[in-house]
Amino acid sequence: MSKVGVFVCHCGTNIASALDVFKVAEAARALPGVAHAAEYKYMCSEPGQQLILDAINEHGLKRVVIASCSPRMHETTFRKMLKKSKINEYLLEIANIREQDAWVHADFEKATEKAIDLVRMAVAKALKDEPLKAQTIPITKRALVIGGGIAGIQAALDIADAGHEAVLLEREPSIGGHMAMLDKTFPTLDCSACISTPKMVDVGAHPNITLLTSAEVDAVKGYIGNFTVTIRKKANYVNHDICTGCGACEQKCPVKTDSAFNRGLSKRTAIYKLFPQAVPSKPVIDAESCLKLKNGKCGVCEKVCPLGCIDYGDEDRLVEMDFGAIIVATGYRPAKWQRMYDEYGAGRYADVIDGLQFERLVNASGPTEGHIARPSDGKAPKTVAIIKCVGSRDPKKGHAYCSRACCMAAAKHAHQLIDKLPGSRVFVFYIDVRTPGKGYEEFYDQTRKDGAVYVRGRVSRIYKEGDTLVCQGEDTLLGKQVRVHADLVILETAMEPSPGSGALLGLLGCAKDADGWVTEAHPKLRPVETQVGGVFLAGACQGPKDIPDTVAQASASAAKAIGLLNKDEMETSPMIAKIEEDKCSGCGACGPICPYKAIALEKIPARDPGTGKKIERLVARVNAGLCQGCGACTVACRTGAIDLLGFRNNQILEEVDALWL
Amino acid sequence: MTNGQKQQLIRDRAAALLADGAVSCIVGWRQTRFAGKTAVCFVRAPEDATLLVWNEYTIPLTAKYLADERWTGGKAGILARGCDSKAINRLLRDNQLEREKLYIVGLPCEGKADERCRPCRQKTPLVYDELLWEEDSAADGGGTSAADADAPGRGRFFRADEVSALGIDARYDYWEDVYARCIRCYACRNACPVCSCRECYVDMHRAGFQSKRQNAADNRVFGVTRAFHVGDRCIECGECERVCPMGLPILGQTQKVIQTAEALAGAPYEAGLNAEDENFLGKFDLDDKDAFM
Repeated sequence: MSKVGVFVCHCGTNIASALDVFKVAEAARALPGVAHAAEYKYMCSEPGQQLILDAINEHGLKRVVIASCSPRMHETTFRKMLKKSKINEYLLEIANIREQDAWVHADFEKATEKAIDLVRMAVAKALKDEPLKAQTIPITKRALVIGGGIAGIQAALDIADAGHEAVLLEREPSIGGHMAMLDKTFPTLDCSACISTPKMVDVGAHPNITLLTSAEVDAVKGYIGNFTVTIRKKANYVNHDICTGCGACEQKCPVKTDSAFNRGLSKRTAIYKLFPQAVPSKPVIDAESCLKLKNGKCGVCEKVCPLGCIDYGDEDRLVEMDFGAIIVATGYRPAKWQRMYDEYGAGRYADVIDGLQFERLVNASGPTEGHIARPSDGKAPKTVAIIKCVGSRDPKKGHAYCSRACCMAAAKHAHQLIDKLPGSRVFVFYIDVRTPGKGYEEFYDQTRKDGAVYVRGRVSRIYKEGDTLVCQGEDTLLGKQVRVHADLVILETAMEPSPGSGALLGLLGCAKDADGWVTEAHPKLRPVETQVGGVFLAGACQGPKDIPDTVAQASASAAKAIGLLNKDEMETSPMIAKIEEDKCSGCGACGPICPYKAIALEKIPARDPGTGKKIERLVARVNAGLCQGCGACTVACRTGAIDLLGFRNNQILEEVDALWL
Repeated sequence: MTNGQKQQLIRDRAAALLADGAVSCIVGWRQTRFAGKTAVCFVRAPEDATLLVWNEYTIPLTAKYLADERWTGGKAGILARGCDSKAINRLLRDNQLEREKLYIVGLPCEGKADERCRPCRQKTPLVYDELLWEEDSAADGGGTSAADADAPGRGRFFRADEVSALGIDARYDYWEDVYARCIRCYACRNACPVCSCRECYVDMHRAGFQSKRQNAADNRVFGVTRAFHVGDRCIECGECERVCPMGLPILGQTQKVIQTAEALAGAPYEAGLNAEDENFLGKFDLDDKDAFM
């Protein structure tokens, strides 16, 4: 019988005060196969680990059971410890007597009994454990950053500065994202473009960064360290290799269409640069509005281009590239409030605008050159109502979550209005004011001192009265209905996941939550990793965020990617699915159920059992790099041809038998 | 067209296909020694085509034999009704057959002398290379009318409905009685067109959770496991129940799985309609409805 050592941890008083650790050790000693049992105050501590290592030598132990906290806490610690011994680090079982026992039971006697049960199960499994060996896989030293907003820009720069290649992918013709649209940034009121455009230029000039604009991810294959991504370079009809960005084409283009960058507040041409500081600073043709591409007539840009860059025959191109790490930085979009709030006019009133439209109005490079002119008649508003939580904290109409940045955006907008339009009155309708950031509360306080009137309540209705928009709602502090006759209404709308991000997450195999945000591997302890190895997240794609948080997260996620790319090869967990090919009938039931796309069917040579002739037959194969050991396939396989190493059926059944037999 | 005329068509076509080498065998039905019982047979020579029969008793599924039987070289010709075609789709989906090695002779069915054929909704094959005749909606040989199939207790899930109608205690006793009588002969498994594992878990030397002993407890484990192994892929042909030598009402089990799956998904579900659909319980989708979890 293999010799098992059982080590019971007091965890200070965490465990020892809730159950009898001495009795557990004593009971363990009597279990079949157990050669040694001991208890100690902190097994994870240096002396605790030494105690285990000494016992292994002294008693010739072959397997180890540690009764302590959750394996999520210290399994890795104890595996590392075993690497110093003669025992394979996978001949280790953790009996979780803290989270699953001491912390959740009040009865000392019964908790002790349960601990003994848990130890008995762990010993039974330990006796069936088999040594496992980690495999190594090579790593492609290049990172893909998806999304060229401030998150993607920061992540790409950090990776590139660390000496690794980064490819920054952006579906729009320029990087910059939403930050490029903003006027000022709270709470310091730095000009947004002044702080973001230098970073954009750095991206364009960095020798380690390849910038791919007007590009999207088409397909993703592979696994951590070894992704192959098919990138679709969308046709932009301008040869950027020779274009100098002189702008002659933009000046002559006869088409006028709504500028999405200016949120519909101005027109742009069909051949256009997204905004003046665009990177790359070269125009593209929007095929949907270009006369030449729509009906073959025009061709003015081609005639005026001095270098012959225009190519109306341009087509989408697919490029395949290899990456070791992927960072998802797809950001957000402002909620389409028009669909949610009929009572706010659903878009019928030109002077009800969203926060991002206001950013463009107040921006010196915006459609009004920074003059706050209301869209309907171009007059400067005297009274402005700002409504917060439009689409946020409103599960009936929009989303249950708080969009986090809007409280400060509203304070900033109020400040800008009072600052730029002396004598104007600003009313801010709010549910709560949330300012948990450095300098945020002070900024909000100052805005109120400057004269912004904060009204606690939601606006129930906006209607037109003469030249003004009446915002009617309850002031819940006064307990009265109030009406504000406003010239301009600004809605601070909710953030929603960027359109198309769901499909991208599907390609990557990443999970998303009920609202569509990317799910992190652990909300507290692994906040920038996804559940897919080698895929990290940055910025608002994980949930609403302001710029400081986004940039911090982008650098964190770059650090994770750099850590991965610094290695030449990496160890993969050997606790993965193993297919017994002899039993596998190749039905493929395991493939579609695998969340990591780790299983593929392959043909293997075989002999026909009837005729003895050589044939080929299908069997399932597991990719060790992709498999995360979740075990879904083992349940899907009706034959039971798939077993999970480290959690084999017979190992689990031993545990079950130990409990109830 | 009478069954006799159809039988003649089948024999002629089978002989022709074998004679010109288009197929190396024809899988069809022959008469057994017992009146009212036919069996699936493999005809390999044109002159043997006269063995083939078609009547209200040509009930067994041909498709499963194709997965079991090995044939060498060329294509296998198979006589297929709607149910056989659903079985073929399942076997194709499970990679147990290759479409290019099949020549499917489609035979629209008029319903057979079996209560399990009554709710059949697929008399004409879904997949075939040729049809020997067109479905005659007026014909009603042995089966029952569509209106009757919708009548209470006679619908698609008639067997499950019968058992569901019992009270919970009566239902427990009902299944206890079923498992006490089961002799674990595995005829249900062998006949089932979706039981296509190379090695069934019940035959394994050590499966761990299922012994080879024959008693009510182990029979129950087998019964429930079988229902779940095939439930979401069940083509509702009723072969399992038909071949059971103890006459156990086991079609109700898979019917119940499908009925429950439809209720959970809030959408109709039928296996074997094509060779591409993922198994109902065997797919992973981030947007899965998980109200039951």
